[in-house]
Amino acid sequence: MSDSPQATHAGTGSAVESDPNAPVDLPNRIDVNDLNIYYGAFKAVADVSMTINPQSITALIGPSGCGKSTFLRSLNRMHEVIDGAYVEGSVVINDKNLYGPGVDPVAVRRKIGMVFQRPNPFPTMSIADNVLAGKRLNSKRLSKTEGAELVEESLRGANLWNEVKDRLDKPGSSLSGGQQQRLCIARAIAVSPDVLLMDEPCSALDPISTLAIEELMLDLKRTYNIVIVTHNMQQAARVSDRTGFFTIEGTGKPGKLIEMATTEKIFANPAMQATQDYVTGRFG
Amino acid sequence: MSKELRSNFHEQLTEIRDGIAQMGAGVTELVPRATQILLDGDLEAAEYVILGDNEYDAKAVELEERCFSVIALQAPVASDLRSLVSAIKIIADIERSADLCVNICKAARRIYGHDLDPSLRGVIQKMGNQARVLFKESTEAYLNLDGPRAAALHDMDSYLDDLQRQFIQVIFESHAAGTIDLQVAVQLAVVARFYERIGDHAVNVGDRVRYIVDGWVPEHPYAESDNDPPEIVDGVIVPAGQS
Repeated sequence: MSDSPQATHAGTGSAVESDPNAPVDLPNRIDVNDLNIYYGAFKAVADVSMTINPQSITALIGPSGCGKSTFLRSLNRMHEVIDGAYVEGSVVINDKNLYGPGVDPVAVRRKIGMVFQRPNPFPTMSIADNVLAGKRLNSKRLSKTEGAELVEESLRGANLWNEVKDRLDKPGSSLSGGQQQRLCIARAIAVSPDVLLMDEPCSALDPISTLAIEELMLDLKRTYNIVIVTHNMQQAARVSDRTGFFTIEGTGKPGKLIEMATTEKIFANPAMQATQDYVTGRFG
Repeated sequence: MSKELRSNFHEQLTEIRDGIAQMGAGVTELVPRATQILLDGDLEAAEYVILGDNEYDAKAVELEERCFSVIALQAPVASDLRSLVSAIKIIADIERSADLCVNICKAARRIYGHDLDPSLRGVIQKMGNQARVLFKESTEAYLNLDGPRAAALHDMDSYLDDLQRQFIQVIFESHAAGTIDLQVAVQLAVVARFYERIGDHAVNVGDRVRYIVDGWVPEHPYAESDNDPPEIVDGVIVPAGQS
């Protein structure tokens, strides 16, 4: 693997190295091309190009305000819930540009699920209904047995089944924070998405629940393409296969992707000085 | 929550330990092989051992890299940290021991054609056996994280040190009796040293096993303040407090 900064894109200041081991033609690979994200006149993220491999975990790290969460949200058009948000460039998955004409953002979000920073189960809904909420929103009629099967399958997938199987009719808010987050993951995978986006999924959790979610992510990556934004660099190091480092030059400037490489390289021998400074805590 | 957390990380640790144990087992077999090559003057086999050393070097580098990577990515603590830091040192001890076996084979080439009398052959065989037993014990202590077994290596090494002194004595006698010439005597003295060093590396591995098991570190004789190290005054070593 070449360490040379020759991979640096002239003008953009980003070094996106090609990984020779990257799976090339598997389904659900995401290709981001020259993405610029705007909130009205404000350019929040500039010139991001990256490939996100399927069946792997990609971590996005960087200081606050560097645009990593905005970038993550742009991957399922979730940032568009803010008025005036728009993008230039393309996000291509399975030969389809998410920002192509006529693409329904709701359909995009069904295929690309998201788990948020704070666990947000519907507090009065039962555990089982929480799991099915997404499926029902997508106007799918489910028979009782189908529903029960999907609840069990999704909760098993989220590694929560054994803890809640005897109280599926209790409200979702009766669970601990870590269990609630796994319930949200169960809800996200119940609609069988292709990609799972996670926006700081463990920042509101205690260390043991955090490790439980990380272990779950390592299980889930066999099936899903996972992208995670995290402030916890150790978490990125522990779970991800590839890591992208975002930063900004100053307030009001857009966030940029500085370096993207295998996680091992980012944490052992990054190509860019800015990455080195950030992961070693000399800047941030 | 009964499921093991960080199973992936712990698998990596197991793989590293298995890799190191394999290297250790390899050297455990290499020691008697080198001894036989020395006694038989088997030049062809010596060549194979010398060439085969590249494999140990490559394996050592690979395992070390894996340790670095796990330390960088997994932030190991407690026994996990002790086992990784020790692994890096143990790898070096094993790799160096493989080098010493190579050195024995190179010595075999240098003394090729010279007959060794039975008393020399006997003591070489004994040193080879004892060095092999030491290495076998250290490898098994490491694989099973067996502290008491590792602690026993010091006594086993004392016997190897005794054998080295015997060996040197026999070399003097054989040279005095005219059965070996000076060049062979010098080569054999160096060989005695190689076996003794292999034993020392095995003892190091044992000490590191004890460190992994419960954080044991060797006592330093001058660790206590009322037991200061000797001082050097005008180029002469004198006990502390007498200068």
